[in-house]
Amino acid sequence: MNYGITKTFQRNHRVWLWCCVACACVFLTSQEIHADETRMAVRITGLFSPDRAKELREIVSTWPGITLSKLDFDRAEAIFTWDNTKFFSKLQPAQIVARLDDTLRSDSSHTFGVKPASTTPGEQLVKIDIPVVGLDCKACCLAAYEIVARIDGVEQATASFKDGRITARIDSKRTSKSALEAALKERGVTLRNP
Amino acid sequence: MIDRPTGKMPSGALVFTLILFLLSSDHARALPPFPTKHCVECHDSITKKGGLDLTNLQSNLADPDTFALWVKIHDRVERGEMPPGKNRRPNPAETSSYLESLAKTIMAEESRRFQGQGRTITRRLTRSEYENTVRDLFDMPGIALQGLLPADGSAHGFDNNSDALDISHVNLAKYVEAADLTLDLAIATRPVAPISRKRRISLANRGGFIAHIIMNGDGVLLKDKKPDPDFPPAGEQNHLDQGAHERMGSFSNGSSVGLFRHEDESVSPYFMEHVTIYPGMYRVRTSLWSFQWDKGTVLPSRGTEAARLSVVQLTGDGRGGQHPSYVLGYYDAPSMVSQEHEVTTWLNANEIIGFNTASLAPVANYARKGRAMAFTGPGIACDWLDVEGPLHTAWPPTSHKTLFDNLPMAEFKISEGKTTPRPPQRKQIRQIGAGMNRPDPSPGIFTVQSNQPLADADQLLARFLPKAFRRPVPLDVRNAYVNKVADRLKAGDCFESAMRWAYRAALCSPDFLYHVEPANKLDDHALASRLSYLFWNSMPDNRLTELANANTLHLPTTLRAEVERLLKDPRSQRFVSDFTGQWLKLRQIAANDPDRQLYPEFSPYLQDSMVAESRAYFQEIIDRNLGASYLVQSDFVIVNGKLATHYGIHGVSGAKPRRVPLPKDCPRGGFLTQAAVMKVTANGTTTSPVPRGAFVLERILGERPEPPPPNVPAVEPDVRGTSTIREQLAKHRSDSSCAACHAKMDPPGFALESFDVIGGYRARYRSIGVGDKAERGSIDPFIGINFKLGPTVDPSGILPDNKSFKDIKELQTHLAADPDRLLRNLAMQLAVYGTGRPIAFSDRKQINGIVSNTRNNGGGIRTLLHELVQSPLFQTR
Repeated sequence: MNYGITKTFQRNHRVWLWCCVACACVFLTSQEIHADETRMAVRITGLFSPDRAKELREIVSTWPGITLSKLDFDRAEAIFTWDNTKFFSKLQPAQIVARLDDTLRSDSSHTFGVKPASTTPGEQLVKIDIPVVGLDCKACCLAAYEIVARIDGVEQATASFKDGRITARIDSKRTSKSALEAALKERGVTLRNP
Repeated sequence: MIDRPTGKMPSGALVFTLILFLLSSDHARALPPFPTKHCVECHDSITKKGGLDLTNLQSNLADPDTFALWVKIHDRVERGEMPPGKNRRPNPAETSSYLESLAKTIMAEESRRFQGQGRTITRRLTRSEYENTVRDLFDMPGIALQGLLPADGSAHGFDNNSDALDISHVNLAKYVEAADLTLDLAIATRPVAPISRKRRISLANRGGFIAHIIMNGDGVLLKDKKPDPDFPPAGEQNHLDQGAHERMGSFSNGSSVGLFRHEDESVSPYFMEHVTIYPGMYRVRTSLWSFQWDKGTVLPSRGTEAARLSVVQLTGDGRGGQHPSYVLGYYDAPSMVSQEHEVTTWLNANEIIGFNTASLAPVANYARKGRAMAFTGPGIACDWLDVEGPLHTAWPPTSHKTLFDNLPMAEFKISEGKTTPRPPQRKQIRQIGAGMNRPDPSPGIFTVQSNQPLADADQLLARFLPKAFRRPVPLDVRNAYVNKVADRLKAGDCFESAMRWAYRAALCSPDFLYHVEPANKLDDHALASRLSYLFWNSMPDNRLTELANANTLHLPTTLRAEVERLLKDPRSQRFVSDFTGQWLKLRQIAANDPDRQLYPEFSPYLQDSMVAESRAYFQEIIDRNLGASYLVQSDFVIVNGKLATHYGIHGVSGAKPRRVPLPKDCPRGGFLTQAAVMKVTANGTTTSPVPRGAFVLERILGERPEPPPPNVPAVEPDVRGTSTIREQLAKHRSDSSCAACHAKMDPPGFALESFDVIGGYRARYRSIGVGDKAERGSIDPFIGINFKLGPTVDPSGILPDNKSFKDIKELQTHLAADPDRLLRNLAMQLAVYGTGRPIAFSDRKQINGIVSNTRNNGGGIRTLLHELVQSPLFQTR
């Protein structure tokens, strides 16, 4: 059907449309949110130790129709897949993230959460290591993890009462090791002297 | 006050005789020689010993003060206190003749005063009588109403005395409030009972204090009687962030909670997850055990410990009431073996269950270096607490049927286009605090239905009013209430609301609020009420009412059988606690907190154990019909483990009081030596022979001491340990105006100096100043001791009849040797309590008759109760 648009324009328009799609893909890739029909990459909060990965899988396994198809503990990233005809069909990506977050929080007594995938380039992230004393149990690790994970610029963190250690991958432009140490000390975590 | 004479011969005899002539011509004819020879010399207008001038004494006995003075003169002469011992003793026949004549005059005046009116002035129900009456009337055994009403006064030792039971607009307003609350709870508002649910709660429940203090070392989580591997005890560092631990399920994984710390100003252990929504009966079960904690290791405990379960009323915002509303009980926690306990109790809306490690010493690891991992000491573990309810055996409940019998309930519907009848008002049910239980879905507005409202109202009120008013109700009175219903129906109320008006009016009427008794001899309904309020602190039950209706209750055999039935009923516990609460002043047990430095071993558990002992001992005396000597002396005590330790008695453990034979030479036995009595007669820091001696005189021997004269400073005991109270009192007694009374009061008080302010036995006073190092004795090793041992206690004394004693045991023997005196006092105390009026002069003959009959029938206290009930004194208003 010709609505009076020239062929050149139509060709240009097609090019422009493909450009838009490509840009969108780049944008989405840069956001690491793959909003194709059934997959989405997200960041998982509360994943502070390797055994937590198993707990996360157990929780998601109870969700009918949604699958945790990939989980990267080191980057705290996961990919969920689902049947687009049954779930989230009319939702924007941000809304899907919010819906996943609500569901995961509710089912994990607010120990796990979902955030949009990190936009910080990997080479910009710095891994830091903070030795601590007095993490008595797994719940103390969650508490210590949450202290650092809430800080802007912390993209991923772990806490281990067995090793007495907190690690974090941080965007050095937005935060620093000393800022994390200060936050931990303020909340009653004792740092181990080097 | 009458005091010792100088020994001179009478000089104002003529004047005294003249005065007595003025009192009564009959009296005067018998009197002249006695006062002339023995009284006026010291009590004339010049000498005026003790402030008494017989020559100017008013003759008008209608004046209450003059009347009381002549009664006092009679009594002091009768007891042989006047004329004083060092004077020439009057001839016994002469004394007897004088006393007889004086008694006649006094009784004639009393008879004139009481003519045409009952001896007991019409009196209202006390707060506890009101509450118990409502509880029994509606079968709501735990509804809390006392707290709504203004406190009662007290007269002649008891709050149910007509002289104390005044009424004000405040009372009236509160009665309306209480009636509304009662009806709110009594009337069923749903077609089926609220769903009964069972909830298992950990002591470290969400939102409670316990999780927080466990994270800081004042307790631990335990699994299989060992530290929970998923939650190590807090050591050098505390656990971080209670919220994170709650979310990770640290406190909801089925672990037992072991506590080292007990309730204090900053820690209130509650089972927060159940906040009562529907008032009613609930089954509460718990599992407890004890252990010895040794820096991370669980070992067998030193013995059976005790935990307290209590009920706490949450404040409106659900943040907690801090202090228990009442104690459910103390429960054993045996070493390393879980023991389950169950209690079925009424819970009111917004009430929760509280917990306390009652038998443990005050310990706090919070913020202490090393916390639980550096602590060695006893702990009590709670595996879980189950709360199940509300329990209903039938629906609608009895309370509803009391008001509406079997009238059907249906959903309230209003016809289209009409505004009446208006629906009944319903309060919104909501949950407060951290309760995890939730209200049932609202069923809509359900209410009772009546097709013939006025006929039903008449029938319902004909059933309700006689029960509530404790006697038959005349037709015109009933009609007045039916008319109220008719008025409200006309005004547009639905049937339930209209009936509610009538019921509220009935519950606020004098017929309900007052003991209504006929003048002179009581009819059987009034007698039924006297009986039930004496032994149950509440209204008569159906059996008593039936006997009253048949007019057979007053028959001696029937009365005897009924007294036995009432005493065997669990409701007689109310009599034991209410009577001893006032007679022995046990209600004042918490009037002061003992000085922590001097008495660090004191605890609420010890205090409750003290009261439990006195009540159980009185119960034992009644149950076994023990004689009057047991009031002051016995070869057994009724104690639990805590109190036994306090008394230095070995081999008793556990929270439940039981009868224990006294070891030889143990200075205990009878009310006189009970810790509760010792505590209520002390001020928390020091003891004084004066209040204790006054207590013995007034409460045990039946002789009310004179109040102290004005402008005489009280004797302040010296806690610095430099002088004893006896030395201070010796100076005090050098004042002649004080000496006469103190000669009677001080001796028993001196003997009781062997017991400190918390009823512990002592040979030396405790001191916070000078003194020797104190031994720990039976004090818990986890309690720090800072006091010292001051001067030695001298418990010896000489009674007014010159009998000397060297210690409490000898005093007990002297007092027990006169059982009639003890019986007479108890008979008077019970008569005052049972009739609601003081003992008049003319009642003495009847009291003596009760004592005499009791003595002739074995002398037991249960017999005394029977004799009291059978006496005209009890059966006359």
